[in-house]
This record gives sequence, C-alpha cells and structure tokens, in this order.
Amino acid sequence: MLAYLARRFVFGAVVLIGTSLITFAVAFLVPADPAVTLAGAKADPRTLATIRRELGLDKPIYIQYGLYLDRALHGDLGRSYIRRENVTALIEERLPATAVLAITAIILSLILGIAMGVIAAASRGRALDHALLFTSLALVSMPVFWLGTMLLIAGGLYVRSFPLGGFSGPRSLVLPALTLALGSAGYYSRILHTNLTEALEQDYVRTARGKGVSRSGVMLHHAMANALLPLVTLAGLDLAGMLSGVVLTETVFNWPGIGRLAYEAVFNLDVPLIMGTVLFSALLIVVANLVVDVIYVWLDPRISLAETR
Amino acid sequence: MKLATLRLLLCAGAIALAAACHDRPPPLNLPPGAMILHIADADDIPTLDPAAGYDTVSWTFEQAIFDTLLRYGDNNIDLEPDLATSWEAAPDAKTFTFHLRHDARFSNGRSVTSDDLRFGLERVLNPATNSRGMEYYRRIVGAEDFIAHRTSHVAGIETPEPWTIIFHLAEPDPIFPHKLAMPFASAVPREQVEKWGEDFSRHPIGSGAFVLKQWLGGERLVLLRNPYYFQKGLPHLDAIVDSLGASAELQWFRYEAGDLDVVTEIPPAEFPYVMKTPALRDLTLKKTTVTTRYLGMNCQMWPFTDVRVRQAMSYAIDRHKLIALLNGRGIVARGVLPPNLPGYDSAITGYDHDPKKARALLEQAGLAGGFSFDLWMRADQTLLMLGQSVQQDLAEVGIKARLKPVAWGPFLEAIRDPHTAQAFMTGWEADFPDPENFLDALLSRGEWGSNNDSFYYNPEFQRLIDDAKDETDRRARYALYDRAEKIAVDDAPWVFLYYPVTYVIRQPWLRDYEINPMRPSRFERVWVAAH
Repeated sequence: MLAYLARRFVFGAVVLIGTSLITFAVAFLVPADPAVTLAGAKADPRTLATIRRELGLDKPIYIQYGLYLDRALHGDLGRSYIRRENVTALIEERLPATAVLAITAIILSLILGIAMGVIAAASRGRALDHALLFTSLALVSMPVFWLGTMLLIAGGLYVRSFPLGGFSGPRSLVLPALTLALGSAGYYSRILHTNLTEALEQDYVRTARGKGVSRSGVMLHHAMANALLPLVTLAGLDLAGMLSGVVLTETVFNWPGIGRLAYEAVFNLDVPLIMGTVLFSALLIVVANLVVDVIYVWLDPRISLAETR
Repeated sequence: MKLATLRLLLCAGAIALAAACHDRPPPLNLPPGAMILHIADADDIPTLDPAAGYDTVSWTFEQAIFDTLLRYGDNNIDLEPDLATSWEAAPDAKTFTFHLRHDARFSNGRSVTSDDLRFGLERVLNPATNSRGMEYYRRIVGAEDFIAHRTSHVAGIETPEPWTIIFHLAEPDPIFPHKLAMPFASAVPREQVEKWGEDFSRHPIGSGAFVLKQWLGGERLVLLRNPYYFQKGLPHLDAIVDSLGASAELQWFRYEAGDLDVVTEIPPAEFPYVMKTPALRDLTLKKTTVTTRYLGMNCQMWPFTDVRVRQAMSYAIDRHKLIALLNGRGIVARGVLPPNLPGYDSAITGYDHDPKKARALLEQAGLAGGFSFDLWMRADQTLLMLGQSVQQDLAEVGIKARLKPVAWGPFLEAIRDPHTAQAFMTGWEADFPDPENFLDALLSRGEWGSNNDSFYYNPEFQRLIDDAKDETDRRARYALYDRAEKIAVDDAPWVFLYYPVTYVIRQPWLRDYEINPMRPSRFERVWVAAH
C-alpha cells in the first residue's frame, strides 16, 4: 500500500510539472503582452519597456520558468498582474465558497441520483422507469446557465424564497447547488440503473431472494453494495472538478468561488492568476484520483492496489 | 457497516456545511436606520491602490476613499478644488503652485500634508510600482532621473511647507492641473504603504469621504463614512454596499426586486422595455460620454494610402444604423472630438451616408471594382454586431471587409504594428477634457506605434497641434486645435462612428445621484430617502 502511494505521489508530481510546463508555454504562445495587460491600452512604449524590465520579462523563457517553478514549490504562485495581489492568497480567499458549493452539490446529486436510480431499477420496464429515464436524460441535457437562470427567476424573483445570488447563508446555497446537482444526479441515476439491473440478475441476488430476503433488502443490502462502486469514482472526480471551479454556475449566481476567479483571469489575460488556478485544479484532480483509489479498496477488499500497477 | 460509515460521513459533511454557511457574509453591525446605498458590479474590483487602478470600477471606489488636489464636479468636467484651496499657474505653464486646506485628515486621523501628495506621485513614477499613470507625470522636472533610480526624489516636486506643493515642469503643459485630478495623484500616507507594502490595495487609507470596511473578494465591498472627512455634513450615506461579480442580468433582477438602488448597466435585452415603460423611463439618467468610437484606417497601407478611398469608406457607412443597433445609445460622430469636450466645434459636419459619392470616389481612385481588407476588432459581442453592419454597408459599394475579432492584447499589438492591420474598430475615452487628449494622443506623428494606430501624418496638422500644445491662452489653443481637427476630418484617417451615450436606472428613493461624462459617479452627495 505504501509503495503504491509513493508511486502515485511521484506520478502526481510529474503530472503537475507537466501541467505547469504546458500552461507556461501556452501563456507565452498567446500573443498577449503582460506589460500591456498591466499598463493598459493607453500606455506608451517607454512605460511598457520599463514594466517588462521590472517583471523580468526580458529574461530567457527557461529562466523565467525555472524561477516560477521554484517559487511555486515554495507555495508562492506569483502576483496577479491586474489585482497586484498574491495568487495563493486569492485562491485561498475563494476556496471556501467553492468548497461549500461543490460538497453540497455532490451530496445532493448523490442523494437524488441514487434515489432515482433505485426507483427506476425497482420499477424496471414500467411507466415510472420510462418517466425517470426521460427525466434523467432531460437533466443531463439542460445547459447549466439556462437551468440556473430559470431557477433564479422562479425561486429568487417570483417566489422570493431564495436570495438573488451571492453567498449569504444556507438559503443562498440551495439554487446554485441544485443547478449543479441536477445534471450529475441524472447521470448518476442512469449509471446506477444500469448497474442495479445487472446486479439484480446475478446469482448471489437470486440466492438472497431464495433465502427469503425482502425485495427492498435485496436491493439495498445485496445489489446496491456492488452497483454503487462506480459512483464513488465518478463522484470523486466530479467533486475535484467542482472544487477547481464551476464557472457557469458561479457566474450565474454571483458565487464568489474559484471558477469566477479563473474566468476573470482568462478574460483579463492575467497570466499568473491563470497559471495559479490551472495548477490548483491539476493538484485537486491528482489528489482526488488518489483518494478515490484508496476509498475503492476500502469499500471492496477484492480489489488490490498491487494489481493496478 | 461501510455504508453506515458513509452515511455518517455524509451527515457530518452536511453539518460542516451548515456551519460554513453560518454568518456568511460576516455581519456589518451598522446601527438601525443607517442610510445604505446598495450597488453592484459585474466584476471584482481590480484594485483600490490609486497608483495601480486605471479602470472605471477601481476609480469609482478610489475616488471615494482618496482625495486629489483637484477634482471634477459631480455631473460635469469642470475642475474644482479638492485638497487644494487655490492654485496658481505660471504664464509659461511650467510651474504650478497649489495651496492645501489645513483640515484634511486621513481616515486614521492624521493630517494630510504636501508630503503625502508628493509621496503618492513618486510611487506612481517608481518603476517598481508598475503604475499605469507613470506617463502622465514624466514632464515633471527630474522625473526621468527618478525613474532611472538616479535620484531618491523627483526634483521638480517642491514641498516648502506642509500646506504648499509646487510642480516644475520640463516643458509647458497648460493642462497639467487636469492630470492632478486623476486618482493616480491621490494623497497617500507613506506609513500605511510601508506597513502593507504590495497589499496596500487591501488596506487603503485615504482622506476621502469613505473608508474601506470590508472587501470579500468576488463577493462584496463595504465602505463606511469617513468620520474625519473635511466637507462638513458630507457624505450623507452611512455605508455603501457593493455586490461584486453580479452579471448585468442578475443586477437587473435585483433592481426589479428592489435590492439595488441603482444599476449602471441596463442589459441590452431589457433596454427597449425600459424606454417603452414610462414609469421606468422616468427613472433613467443619461449622459453623453467624452468618448469617440471610430473605424481607423492605416494611412500607410494600401489602399488607405489614398485619401479618396478613406473618404469613400466614410460615405459608405451608415452611422444611423449603428445607433439603431445600440438601441439609440449613441450620437452620430461628425469629427474627432466628442460634444462634451471643451473645444468641440459643432460646425464640423463630417460625412453623411452617401453610397453614390462613395462609389464615385472609389472610381476616381481606380478602385471601381472594389477591394477587400481585414477589419480588426476586439472580440466583443457588441463590436461584432456593429462590425457586421459596417460589413454590409461596405459591400453595397463593392468593398469586402473581413471581420477579424481577436483578444485585447493581440488587437493592440496588431494595430500598433505599421504593417499588420489595414483597418480596425476601436474607441477612445478621454483621460482629461482637452482636445490634446484626442488630437495629439491619437493623431500626432510622435504617437506612431503607440496610440496613432492609423499612422496618420499631415505636416500642417502636426504644426498646428505642436503649436497648440504649448499655447497657454485657452481660446487661442482651442482655435489651433479646431483648425487641426478640420484638416483631420478632411483627411479622414478614421470613419467617425459615434459618441456613446450612457444610461443608468435608479430607484425612486435614490436622490442626487449624478452621472459624470468622464469619470465614475461620486457618492458624497447621494442619499437614500425613506422607502
């Protein structure tokens, strides 16, 4: 187990260095001059030259990359060109809002997805199954910005039960979390439906039925234990994705998270902030992969980490 | 067992979430009945450091927190004293002396002195600050030596005593006082900058009407009234709460719900509805900005080297159609200078939409069969919409324009290169109200590769603007600029498109909110009636 973790740790480090290299290269390939970003459209060439010198942009690219990597390894992701603030501090400031939204959305999507999947599998072939199939496909297909805006108009403007955007207490969490969760819930329910349908035809399920276990007991204690496993992988990676920022949902709901920070960084061509948010996302994905693998083994001892070599 | 553990973890997560949501955002603890202005912005505030900010949002709050020697009126572009009580300009426009008020204090209680103004400007000129304002103060004697780190102070800024500051310029600059009304030239307390270093933006201390209480990135900004503000009885507001990152649509929803007191960006989809609804229309305020939008043509690149082709372009484009596309939020441009700018000449009529004349001019230029070119622009929805209209108009006279929308950085690089962009659509917003800020900044030979992106040059035009730049008599100066503008209009390096008109909508209970044509609105005199 320890050897496996060490190996994955090294792989993770390679992925992160690769990501930083690609992001740094892309930042240089984009024909945007950081000095223009800093000085604004009206700056004269003398001011631009002074800024380039001050930022070290006149040094060779490999030296600039080396300096960046060295600082990043010490937790310093540089200073934002536009905000003139420490990128690490900006990410730290936005992380709690994104974390609250992402974790709530994942919990909600798992609850809804599992409920829909179980009910659909239990009523296989019946009208309810078809209705849930239609519902889950509709949820997966709905664009997030449209669904978010509709929920905002309905729940915030007309019913006035929820705040019109912003992060201001538990009620403000409902609409954005629902917007994020509904799509994932639709997807989870389809996966679970397929897995449960397969599991219900397995020998061990038949044996359980033969032993007189009730229908719900078979579903929840025997079939579910195996059918749920793939959802762990999906939800783990979804959570990592959401933690690295959900741009559209955060934008629609004025949610002060990392997604909007990244969006604003791209919009302003704020290279240090773009690199910081990308590296942070990559780190989350690497860590999430590792955690999911470990949870998988814990949930199903038949799987050995050694085999995944 | 494991499923039970997972369930337990889920419950623990839910409890942790509820705890995380509690007290979000932290309470302001304002007294009951406090007068609060609720506003919103689409993006977070880039900075509150006056040396760094160079955008409308930053300046909105910088001018609330900091003071400059001079400022503009709430709804006009006339200079009025702020920290200064009076000032004198030498006849040669090279020396400016300002006398400061004695009762101005920073929000930490310390008196504002001439040293604080000097320190603020030296920060802007210090290359380590990377200030966007550096170029406005390069004419001060000794500025270049200071920038090159050869001196520790700018020799041309004198502070003989705490309430006097004298500026010596290397060249005449009659409009230098306007440059001192830009937020870059704010009084800044040295001890706070030294305490917070690069994080001064998060801990700004100024002498303005308001003081920063809270800035939650991407969430909200709260300003409270500065108890030390020198204007007795002002500000009226106890607090300003700015919701950050709310899209135009979300701001509109909040306005409709009564949560916002004023919205400065009415969504394009709602604008016709607002103007058709008398109750809403009556709540709108409008102002023509000191801005000109234009289609620039590179006078050094074929076929725009020929003045007849440039004039044909001007006749071919229907500006009224562009205004209609903007829902009427603009005025057809007739020349370089916008109507609110001192020195504007309403007798300049420019070019009317006349495709016949355009075809005739193209024929004279030997281009009866038309030609094609790339029209560069920033990748922006509104600009693209206008670009398509221009494209259609030009096609009617046989000119094929290929739209080339790109990001802001590449756009600037392309149009500043003499051999890349044949034509482009852009605009210019005045930094200070003087024809120099348009005619010299955008069309002089010295600005090639910088802001004269049409690479225009006419020796007579250049002579006039050079003479005007040093002319200290206002009337004579404007007369010289007027003659220069007429030459530029005849030479048509740009198709003058339109002067934008800005609209805001307020709630009926919001009072004394004004739009300034060149700067963000100020909050000192704004108040909120009971509702």
